[in-house]
Amino acid sequence: MAERADDRLLRLLGIVAYLDGAGPVPVEDLARRFGTTPAQIQKDVDALWVSGTPGYWPDDLIDFDAASIDRGVVHLTEARGMTRPLRLGTREAVALVAALRAMKATGAVQADPARSAVVESALGKLTDATGEAASAVDVRLAPDGDRQVVSVISGALAARHRLRIRYVSSSDVVSEREVDPVRLHTQDEFAYLAAWCYRAGAPRTFRVDRILEAVETDVPVQDHAGQLAEIDFGALFAGGSAPLATIRFAPRARWFAEEVPVESVRNLPDGDFEVTLRVTNPGWLRSTLIQLGPYVRSVSPPEAAQDVAGAAREALAVYGVTGDAAGEAAVSPDRH
Amino acid sequence: MSSDLSSAAGPGPAAGPALNPAERLLNLVIALVNTNAAMTKQQVRAAVAGYADAPSAEAFERMFERDKDMLRALGVPVVTVGTGGHTDELGYRIDQDAYALPSIDLTPAELGVLSLAAQFWQDKTLQTDITRAMVKLRAAGAGDPSADALAGLAPSVRAVGDAYGPLMEAIEARRAVTFAYRAAYNGAVLTRHVEPWRIAARDGGWYLMAFDRDRQAPRVFRMSRIESRVRIVGASGAYQIPEFETDVMLGKTHGEVRQAVVAVRPERASALRARAKAVPDGERQAWLDRLPGAGTGSDASGPGWDVLEVPFRSLTGMASEAAGYGAALVVLDPEAVREETVRRLRAAAALAPATAGVSRG
Repeated sequence: MAERADDRLLRLLGIVAYLDGAGPVPVEDLARRFGTTPAQIQKDVDALWVSGTPGYWPDDLIDFDAASIDRGVVHLTEARGMTRPLRLGTREAVALVAALRAMKATGAVQADPARSAVVESALGKLTDATGEAASAVDVRLAPDGDRQVVSVISGALAARHRLRIRYVSSSDVVSEREVDPVRLHTQDEFAYLAAWCYRAGAPRTFRVDRILEAVETDVPVQDHAGQLAEIDFGALFAGGSAPLATIRFAPRARWFAEEVPVESVRNLPDGDFEVTLRVTNPGWLRSTLIQLGPYVRSVSPPEAAQDVAGAAREALAVYGVTGDAAGEAAVSPDRH
Repeated sequence: MSSDLSSAAGPGPAAGPALNPAERLLNLVIALVNTNAAMTKQQVRAAVAGYADAPSAEAFERMFERDKDMLRALGVPVVTVGTGGHTDELGYRIDQDAYALPSIDLTPAELGVLSLAAQFWQDKTLQTDITRAMVKLRAAGAGDPSADALAGLAPSVRAVGDAYGPLMEAIEARRAVTFAYRAAYNGAVLTRHVEPWRIAARDGGWYLMAFDRDRQAPRVFRMSRIESRVRIVGASGAYQIPEFETDVMLGKTHGEVRQAVVAVRPERASALRARAKAVPDGERQAWLDRLPGAGTGSDASGPGWDVLEVPFRSLTGMASEAAGYGAALVVLDPEAVREETVRRLRAAAALAPATAGVSRG
């Protein structure tokens, strides 16, 4: 696809402003700085060379030292007044500042004073340069995880040491594992540790708020290159060929359709909606549907409904309450 | 964008190969920065390289208007001034002071941090915004970015969606918008008229905070429930945005911390245990006596339970979490949490008929 005219213009102006301050710069360095190819930089220089103020006599034009260009070095000799970088637009400033503020609040940054200081100073300089437009967008990601756990993980990542963790899965099963940490990643409301798990003999992602305890060992991490390539955060919930379940919800449970990756959502005329999803983790689904009980109208296939209802009845028995005579709760939830 | 070359038919006064749009825009910027006072449209057409390519007055008008809009969208401050002569024709120039980025002096590490921030957004419009910002900042001449200190730490946020563009535009210009919105309490879709204040992301959701003109009150909208295009309506500067705290408006800081007491099977509910603490030994038995079936010899009481104190803010949130653990956890106190937990369990139990031997009284 051809490059957009506005994006190219921005780079053309950027090149002149940068060169005015930087002096002669090799074509390759310019290409790297502006995220393009040396061939494109050559074309940009050719375009700049014939641009200038009306009249377009030689003295009106942006000019370069021709001998340098032949050596692959771009040396600006006349900027025609275009020496200052362009200010950030409001939307650009908002996008950048919101991202930095969100980054600053993540556990991985908070746990490390040096990182924290760099993010803080970048944010400070940016807001100084852009003014206070930035409150239009306010993003906060994962809530504070256990500082201690996050700090141990960041330490092990930096030192490239193996970790020993105690982890509770979403089905409430606790396990102890040794893992080689690869990356700490915050995605929306949760932080994840991507790691090589020795127990599973495979790459795994762990939700940081479910890591009950983390201890840094003095064993160096091994090289799992190649084996780790496929760690994909999007695949956390991806179901593959797991069996399908269809659930009809009352409107109040809409967040389920919004936050849980589902195969499809169907809005029904009465405001209810129906989702179809792959059941990769029956324990999680059971627990979630009990939590949402008053807003669940129906579950199919029947075995899935029986699984949820059976677990709820067992729990009611412990409370000394019968599950009978409670049918109306599912029919007319929350009218009060 | 590429259709701009379609007008390259006849040779104009300054015949030569037609300039591509980026080069024409570049010459326009240079001309308007360097002009003494301002240039009229006719001066632009006659003098700036690229505009002579326009085959007709109308084609030139369109070309110039589009270019002007594009420059403004990039943050280039094209200002309109009266030429002060005998005509009422307008002149254009670029305000040099407003054009330039203030001196920013980023270190390589800081530029590295900013490059990481560029990976934050999933939406194409926001990625475009941030890529442009980075081109401008790189032109400001910081050293080569080094991201080593923060490798692998880039956070990301779920896509905010198409509503973002028009909402940002509306917030910037203080203009009202309308959109179709699906209400959570009954699923009905209604047209809403609001004055947008702020866009926020919390707990995996995107929210619009705004003044609702129909209800004459501040309201929070979940952006995933906006079911139409957001249309900007009415004049600029139609309202003011008050000072407010995002979390207060979202109701996230409401509710004091209270304590619930729960009985938990050993080894279970570890995520909840992580923020709980055991009740003092002296009180344990008194709590266990409150378990249904206590003293009957049933397995519901006795040494098979840990008794924990758990902090919570939201009653329904606590009850929901408790119900999710099923028979592994029993709420003992407060009564309101217990009742709400049982209500959820009952509703779930009603999803399928009881089979023999499972339901006990």
